[in-house]
Amino acid sequence: MIEAAVFAILAVMILVPAVLAVSLKNIFHCALWLVVSLTGVGGMFAMLGSDFLFVAQILVYAGGITVLLLFVVLLSGSPKDWIIKQVNGQWAWSLILAGIFVSLLATLFRQLPEPGPLAETVPVTKALGLILVRDMVLPFEAVSLVLLAALVGAIHFNKRNRV
Amino acid sequence: MVSLTGYLLVGAALFGIGLFGALARRNIMGVLIGIELMFNAANINFVAFNRYLHPGQPWGQGFAVFIIALAAAEAVVGLTLVLAIYRNFKTVLAENLNLLKG
Repeated sequence: MIEAAVFAILAVMILVPAVLAVSLKNIFHCALWLVVSLTGVGGMFAMLGSDFLFVAQILVYAGGITVLLLFVVLLSGSPKDWIIKQVNGQWAWSLILAGIFVSLLATLFRQLPEPGPLAETVPVTKALGLILVRDMVLPFEAVSLVLLAALVGAIHFNKRNRV
Repeated sequence: MVSLTGYLLVGAALFGIGLFGALARRNIMGVLIGIELMFNAANINFVAFNRYLHPGQPWGQGFAVFIIALAAAEAVVGLTLVLAIYRNFKTVLAENLNLLKG
């Protein structure tokens, strides 16, 4: 009962700020609403018994990516970008496409067999760390390469005289 | 007891919202916000399937860790490109970047 209530609160906390984040005119407010939505996703990870992902979501998304986004919002654009129309000419088609996609997925989910009773949640960080450096070690190293490439790319694109 | 379908529906709705944002926003940063929302929808699905169908083996959560890392890399490069575009074209609207349009 209390779990269902928490789930409902988290669902509202994810979806309503997400709608605001894609529809408000002021992109700064959009980024701030994105923080709320991503924190709600972190809470949903905690409900699903994933303690490590809960912390990683708060640290990386709510703490890192959105702060980066806010910096870029402040460094680029002008205040007149915040009062013009924010959607392009194909917004109605996008809305229809997204609606069709979500309703298709919803009909699909209704036919899923409901899994049996759940086991108790246990702390998962140790098992996750073992799986990351033992069974998934190749993707782990690949991701470290990608992060290095992103770092180099960010420096390269921001050099003033090239680009 | 919350069912698996509930989590999947929240994930699908979040994906739909992100899809709309990525397709319809004029502002490049708005497009990036939509893409972040879609990443998070995929993460919810991964973790929910992991919890309900394969408890005890956190493979899905490991995948979600990789998605978070790749989303961080994508955000860094994307936002740097936004800054470079703004410096060269003095615009943050995607429809003004039409150099390759025939």
